[in-house]
Amino acid sequence: MRRGERRPPKDMAGLFAGIVRSVPSRRGAGGRKWTFASPYFYLVPAALALAVFVYWPLVQTVELSFYEWNLVSPSRRFVGMGNYRELLTSQVFWISVANTLLAMLAMCLATIAAPLAVAVAALRVQGAVRLIYRAVIFSPTVVSMAIASFIWLWIYNPMQGLIAQLVRAVGGQGFAWLTDPQLAIWAIILVTAWKTFGYNFVIFVAGLLSIPRELVEAARIDGAGEWHTFRHVTWPLLTPTTLFVVLTTLMLAPQYLFIPTQILTQGGPNQASNNLGYIIWEQGFEVFRVGIASAIAVAIFVGFLAFSVMHFRLLERGVHYET
Amino acid sequence: MKRVAWLRWSLSVVASILVFGAGHPGFAGEAVTIEYWHINSDSFGGPAVKELVRRFEAANPSIKVNEKYQPAGYTGLIQQAQVAMAGKRPPAVVQMSYNLLAYAAESLPHYPIENFKQKDAAFFAKFPPNVLALGQYKGVQDGMPYALSTPVLFYNADLLKQSGLNPDRPPATWAEVVEVSQTIKSKTGKFGIYLQNPNDDWMFQQLVLGNGGQMLTADGKRVAFDSPQAIEALQVWADLVNKYKANPNLTRDEGENNFIAGQIAMYATTPAKIDYLKKTVKFTLRTAPLPRFGSKPLKVAGGGNNLFILATDPAEQRAAWGFIKFLHLPESITTWVQGTGYMPPLLSAADDPKALKAFFQANPLTKAALDSVPAATLWQSFPGTHGLEVTKLVINATQEILAGKRSVDAILKEVAAKANDLLAKP
Repeated sequence: MRRGERRPPKDMAGLFAGIVRSVPSRRGAGGRKWTFASPYFYLVPAALALAVFVYWPLVQTVELSFYEWNLVSPSRRFVGMGNYRELLTSQVFWISVANTLLAMLAMCLATIAAPLAVAVAALRVQGAVRLIYRAVIFSPTVVSMAIASFIWLWIYNPMQGLIAQLVRAVGGQGFAWLTDPQLAIWAIILVTAWKTFGYNFVIFVAGLLSIPRELVEAARIDGAGEWHTFRHVTWPLLTPTTLFVVLTTLMLAPQYLFIPTQILTQGGPNQASNNLGYIIWEQGFEVFRVGIASAIAVAIFVGFLAFSVMHFRLLERGVHYET
Repeated sequence: MKRVAWLRWSLSVVASILVFGAGHPGFAGEAVTIEYWHINSDSFGGPAVKELVRRFEAANPSIKVNEKYQPAGYTGLIQQAQVAMAGKRPPAVVQMSYNLLAYAAESLPHYPIENFKQKDAAFFAKFPPNVLALGQYKGVQDGMPYALSTPVLFYNADLLKQSGLNPDRPPATWAEVVEVSQTIKSKTGKFGIYLQNPNDDWMFQQLVLGNGGQMLTADGKRVAFDSPQAIEALQVWADLVNKYKANPNLTRDEGENNFIAGQIAMYATTPAKIDYLKKTVKFTLRTAPLPRFGSKPLKVAGGGNNLFILATDPAEQRAAWGFIKFLHLPESITTWVQGTGYMPPLLSAADDPKALKAFFQANPLTKAALDSVPAATLWQSFPGTHGLEVTKLVINATQEILAGKRSVDAILKEVAAKANDLLAKP
């Protein structure tokens, strides 16, 4: 546990206390007052930026959600909870919620379990091949999402695309990925997973490398096999990494969906691939109903706030920080 | 205190420069700077826009035009314009797609072109009434029609020949499209046709109009795309996809790429694609007018854009109108049409030896689109707060029709009911 001394502070108050204590007091009572205020003073630039660029727009979004308006029209109509009521009965909104949850679940499997397995495997590869192997897996991450989507547009082409050609080579028929209501959302999830896989993979590799070799060796000496070493040593020590990956994936997945949706399906066919990231854009900037778009944004904000609080509560318990 | 006063003074100077700064009319003498926002990328008319601006500025030294390309298309342009309007600095002239006419006329503060109609009667008299109508909403000339495209049928003449068909006689009706497609499929195994299906309702409207239907009732209060004519028209598309397997159900990019690759024999789309397709395909490319419904006359929905004046300052509005009139001079239209592949809104320019006559003679692929201009009518947009959502419903209905799981009749009746509810909603 030599390296375990630097525990992350338990909470923000503890962090502040540390800062306050470390500021030397030069004068008497006035100095103490200054010492007390100084951390807040240092926080002002960051807090100001947050207030202007995050909290103020948030307040405005809430306000806009009570209006029927396009931001410029002279007719700005107060509708109270009207936009929220419309959401509850809107079929498209619930399709979007379902698709987003589906994507989050699928992304958890595809970009957490799979990269972890690949990372464990990749660390066993030795020599120069190891670097090439890692570079190949990581490369989709550096491709921009828009370019990735265009690459997949070509791969999905049901007549000449890569998948269609492979399927035809074994005697099958190409799928109309983007115009089939059942497949369209999966086509988007696949692009998103392909793009984020490499990033999570690298995080897992880093997490695995930070596990002290002595612990693994000690387990081996005690007679633990591969699986037992992983189950009882590697996995528990990897939980902070896993928590980080799970949270970022769940938080970012809904946002990642936007670009491939925009390029591949525009939410179609017949809304079958719509999702929360895209529907806000569609309502706000395609049919210019900023009020209902804001209502969706507020609903998502509240939903995710509850979700992340719950997540932290649940997952903190199973996390071992003593690495 | 002195320092505070000085600070206050200098801040107010900076603020006034920011507010009334460079380019604001009336600040630095008579010079006016106007912004022109367009969707013409470098590969699609951008150079023509720059050339036109250069010539306009040379002829009008007191007016400077800043042209700005908007990469996210027409809706992206509106988003940006709304931001600029909220900041009280609207662009003076913008391109506004025909299918956004109702939205722009009702919900975007603008200076209607109608205001110049009396004074410039001679200018308006030069345009065909069906073209001017593309910029009219509820009887008011809100925008000035500029870019104009009429749908055409591109076809792979080699594939027709290989199938034993006469490439000089492309299908003229939808019934012939079915026949030709079946011949092509049996002889070559390729698909017959692809009707463009991007994220808009342009092709839907072509079919409804072509079969004598309408999108909206005459009073504009209800949709009309659940009429027998409309249902029959969309049935044609549904059958091409699902019954005859002649039209693969693909997104626009996929469909276009497969036409280019020689997998699909015909492709109904905009003539703005002429230049691109001509450069890209490796077969003999020909064009024909959009097929008709039996003996019914050709009627098409015009694609392209109106020019709208969003400027609020009178000097900018005058300069904007001067610029719009300049863009509609025969010489300017010539540069515009050659640079984009659009049809001339000033139809007389097509026969004018000093304007476009030579161009159209040298480019036989453009003939089909030019011949269709007299048949052009409004690409219908829908009124009210929820008008754009009605358009969205039509797009979704098209996708559901092509998926072939339910009858065209059931889909259109259901969607029309939803659309009528939206039109009635405040």
